[in-house]
Amino acid sequence: MLELSDIRAGYADVQILNGVDLALRPATITTVIGPNGAGKSTLFKAIFGLIRVRSGRVRFGTEDITNEKPARLLARGIAYVPQGRNVVPRLSVRHNLELGAVTLADQSRVGERIEAVMDRFPALRQHQARKAGDLSGGQQKQLEIARALLLEPKLLLIDEPSIGLSPNLVRDVFKVLQGLRDAGVTVLMVEQNAKAALAISDDGLVLELGRARMHAPATQLLADPAVGRLFLGAAIEG
Amino acid sequence: MAQFLQVLLSGLATGSIYALAAVGFSLVWQAAQAVNFAQGEFVMLPAFLVLIGEHWLHWPLWAALLFGFALSILLLGLAFKRLIVQPFGPDGGLPLVIATMALSILLKEAVKTFYGAEAEPFPSLIPNGDFHIGGAVISVRDVLNLAAALAVVMLLTLFLDRTKTGRQMQAAAQNPGVAEILGIDVARMTLYAFLLNAALAAVASFLITPVYLAKFSNGESLGLVAFIAAIIGGFNRIRGALVGGLLIGVLDNLTATYVTLSYRAALPLVLLIAVILWRPQGLLGDAEARIV
Ligand SMILES: Nc1ncnc2c1ncn2[C@@H]1O[C@H](COP(=O)(O)OP(=O)(O)OP(=O)(O)O)[C@@H](O)[C@H]1O
Ligand SMILES: [Mg+2]
Repeated sequence: MLELSDIRAGYADVQILNGVDLALRPATITTVIGPNGAGKSTLFKAIFGLIRVRSGRVRFGTEDITNEKPARLLARGIAYVPQGRNVVPRLSVRHNLELGAVTLADQSRVGERIEAVMDRFPALRQHQARKAGDLSGGQQKQLEIARALLLEPKLLLIDEPSIGLSPNLVRDVFKVLQGLRDAGVTVLMVEQNAKAALAISDDGLVLELGRARMHAPATQLLADPAVGRLFLGAAIEG
Repeated sequence: MAQFLQVLLSGLATGSIYALAAVGFSLVWQAAQAVNFAQGEFVMLPAFLVLIGEHWLHWPLWAALLFGFALSILLLGLAFKRLIVQPFGPDGGLPLVIATMALSILLKEAVKTFYGAEAEPFPSLIPNGDFHIGGAVISVRDVLNLAAALAVVMLLTLFLDRTKTGRQMQAAAQNPGVAEILGIDVARMTLYAFLLNAALAAVASFLITPVYLAKFSNGESLGLVAFIAAIIGGFNRIRGALVGGLLIGVLDNLTATYVTLSYRAALPLVLLIAVILWRPQGLLGDAEARIV
């Protein structure tokens, strides 16, 4: 599936990722946990071609995709939902969804794809004519996820989906991710809400100081006392 | 009443030229966060490019107009983006502002040097003449200029709202980071904004120069007015820039006729201050959109 070997990347003269190795098993959910500033979001940006990988390789299936541009990665079946708010505020919900398909070769299929993702997120159908910026935080996140699913990706990178969502919505989002996994999609997620995220994950990755410290089945990380003390305690309260 | 109607209409006609410049200004601002202080000269120059086609190359008017239009898009669109804006990076800031000010001086001085300081007559596409409605004498040119400018802005907003490319341009302007992760070619969308600005400036130039004659200094107040019109309309709104331009044109004509001619130049500034005090997000802007 996705395979990272010895990834180094950063910003200007600061290196943040200091050699990350990771191999994802297909059709699994992997949650990345780690302290603030560990480089979790940076890792996603490096995979998705938003910052340059300075050394190391990113492989997707059998192909080397290191430093490919987002448009190319989308065409390969990789989608990315970044941390924070990521809608085009003054365009309608429907037009935001449609923008998720600009790289789709067969534009005649956009309409049916939009219908399909709106089936998954009924709130979006209901609000499809509203401006995306006027939606609630939870609805905007749903819109972002729906937009990422428009191309029917094989790999979904999703960074902190639960931020700003009510517990109910978090549960809904996690259910969607589980549904995707069951349909064969591989999910790589960063989540502050580590305990809940690991509970629905197959694997977990502890990222610290720009390195993969631990990569193990989620159940093992949940049971690990050191991981619990360092990363799971604080996250539940927050 | 008749006089009022006359003044109002010629105000709208002038204002529609301001609006074209202001809309282009706002497009470039939204796409590249570039404040173009040479915008007035962008409206001054295309007329001279047409004159080059006519006088130096001895082309018929239609060919000279096409030549001027195409060259404007090349110089004020493509070259402006590549050579002036792009080298300063994505966040040009003050150095870019200074560069556009320098460009404005350069364009003015270049035209003065190559074409002289005298005003040159510029061929009109519109016949001279007046409508007489009631007691009012309304110039055909005012009506057609207004109609043409409004039609251009309307077409532009239709393009931005109703076409996939237009909406990709909006996405690239409103949230370039998101546009990038969706695979939108942000650099190309930004280029389109610059090309459209150049086209708007050329249209404004062709409409207004028959009235004021072609002169190197034509852009001097126009650039400032476009800037202010864009701000009072809501800096990041096309329709706001349109309303801002029309409003300044009308108020300008009304004060010049009914109050005094002497403070005419100060009027846009007074308007600007009033808007900043009472509605800082602009007439058509909303506070939320500035944060996003
Ligand atoms: N655009 C940027 N330019 C410079 N430094 C950055 C940039 N983005 C992030 N950093 C720095 O890189 C480091 C890692 O940031 P990153 O966003 O990857 O952390 P994170 O693990 O996702 O943290 P969080 O849990 O807060 O989201 C931090 O020290 C941050 O300050
Ligand atoms: Mg992060």
